[in-house]
Amino acid sequence: MTETTGTGDPGPLASAPLAESLGQRLPSGIGGLDTLLCGGFVRHGITIIHGAPGAGKTILSNQICYAHAAAGGRALYVTLLSEQHDRLLANLAQLSFFDQSRVAREISYVSAFRLLERDGLAGLLTLLRREIVAHGASILVLDGLVAAEAYATTELELKKFIHELQMLAGAADCTMFLLTSAGHMDDSGDQRPEHTMVDAIIALRQTPYAWRVERDIHIRKFRGSNHLRGRHAMQITSDGVMVWPRTEALPVASPPPTQASATRISCGIAGLDKMLGGGLPEFSSTVVLGPTGAGKTGMALHFLAQSTPQAPGLMVSFYEAPDHLLARAGGFAPQFAQRAADGVIRFAWHGEAEGLIDRIAGELLEDVRRRGVRRVVIDGLLGFEGLTLPPERMPRFFRALMGQLRALGVTTLCTMEVPQVAGTTHRAPLDSLTPIAENLILLRHVERAGRLERNVSVMKLRGSAFDSTLRAFEIGPGGIVLVTAFGSIDDVPPRSPGDAAGG
Amino acid sequence: MATILVVDDEFGIGELLEALLQDDGHRVLTAMNGRHAQERIAEARPDLVISDLMMPVMDGATLLKALRESSDLRDIPFVVMCALPENAISDRISGYDAFLRKPFKLAAISALVRSLLKQE
Repeated sequence: MTETTGTGDPGPLASAPLAESLGQRLPSGIGGLDTLLCGGFVRHGITIIHGAPGAGKTILSNQICYAHAAAGGRALYVTLLSEQHDRLLANLAQLSFFDQSRVAREISYVSAFRLLERDGLAGLLTLLRREIVAHGASILVLDGLVAAEAYATTELELKKFIHELQMLAGAADCTMFLLTSAGHMDDSGDQRPEHTMVDAIIALRQTPYAWRVERDIHIRKFRGSNHLRGRHAMQITSDGVMVWPRTEALPVASPPPTQASATRISCGIAGLDKMLGGGLPEFSSTVVLGPTGAGKTGMALHFLAQSTPQAPGLMVSFYEAPDHLLARAGGFAPQFAQRAADGVIRFAWHGEAEGLIDRIAGELLEDVRRRGVRRVVIDGLLGFEGLTLPPERMPRFFRALMGQLRALGVTTLCTMEVPQVAGTTHRAPLDSLTPIAENLILLRHVERAGRLERNVSVMKLRGSAFDSTLRAFEIGPGGIVLVTAFGSIDDVPPRSPGDAAGG
Repeated sequence: MATILVVDDEFGIGELLEALLQDDGHRVLTAMNGRHAQERIAEARPDLVISDLMMPVMDGATLLKALRESSDLRDIPFVVMCALPENAISDRISGYDAFLRKPFKLAAISALVRSLLKQE
């Protein structure tokens, strides 16, 4: 008795259970996209990649082909009245993933429009089958589905063509991508007949925000498999397509450590540690709120200076460049520069005016995982504000980011500037600090005895008692030093209920 | 060149096998169920039958039984196709020469057909 099957790698006569076959994935080779797809495309399935001209369909599909070839596979790229091959290759040659040595070897480009014109969909199907076999292709890209649709005289004929492609995909163990710009991919319900038949639909889009235009990618359909729903940030750079999963959509990596961790870690300022009852609660998030020049970044650098090879640190900053921060920290922490040189402390500076918050968050979390970071500083939390599109994402984004960091065992300290330069009252620039600030430390400039004085107070500490005394502090060559408590209640600057930080 | 009868009720399978086997130089007949297959066999005796198991009107097991009971047709090699693994169908069909699990590989079909025709 002979048994043969269409799945399984060991050889033509091997077998594999159906469920196992459906569970097999073909990685896209694009990290963020594979995260959205929970591992990759369903092997020998059909995916429609939809987008208006310029959305990135050709680059994305070619990038998948080159990644597949680099992993040992073979790809067939069939065009139908789309770009000429010489122009297509010239454009691809500018991208880092392009490898000329693979062209006409592992990756073959074939034009099929003339045959489509002459023999219709049946002729196209025959060509695809023969070319897939001839090239041993395990990926097929059909660029220009809209042209094939034009040769279907009825909706049924197009559906039959897709159905026969599905048969071919399974029989040839070939994962297929159909590129099209036909129809709309919004939520208006404009579903085309082929959409009901394929295994997955990926929509690429460009959205204008005033003068800015942002790309996004949306897995609209992914048959029989988990995926990260909704829209996610996408960029096209000289490295090709980059996908940044929406931070709010990311699953929490691991069960978060207990909320009631009794462990305290030093904030790097002895007097403040004392006010905090021994330091900041481990795995918690702290916001240091205050006006410009009040000492927020200095306090953050003290916190970061406590990083060790066993508990590395990371500082994400939007306004001050790393060399400036290093010089400041060197004044009170001689070991700071060495630890930065050793990679124990790392800076991620985002001075750009049009960055992507999900990229910043994604790179942050990746560094935390890779280096086992335990202390994170986000200096200038509102640096995210100008980058957040749409702006109403901010609170959920921050909540998700803090949740990820907590789950990864990180203790986070964020600084946030308030607009008032001096005075006794401050209004937090965010509607609610609750998702971000388990602990809240307020810095202020206060006029006292004819001079401006800095003072610090702890306003909130997660599940713990704390010293609520207002204390003056100075910033000198040795960094921040708490000098004294105010002498009497009369010395304490007045405070109106509700006019300090929210949350 | 051999004559091969492909029996399947599902659209696409027959078309794909027909195209593939024609490329390999064979003459291919198609039928959509066991009863239809018997009519095609009456018209032209095939050298090989490749049949789905679950079909309306007459299923693959009944077709195979009928062929094996016919003194003229009992020697025709018979390949059973099914999406289920072979051990899941072995209690309802016997006497076939090869089992083809769906989805199948193109290369596997050609090799299997060559092998069975060679035995002939």
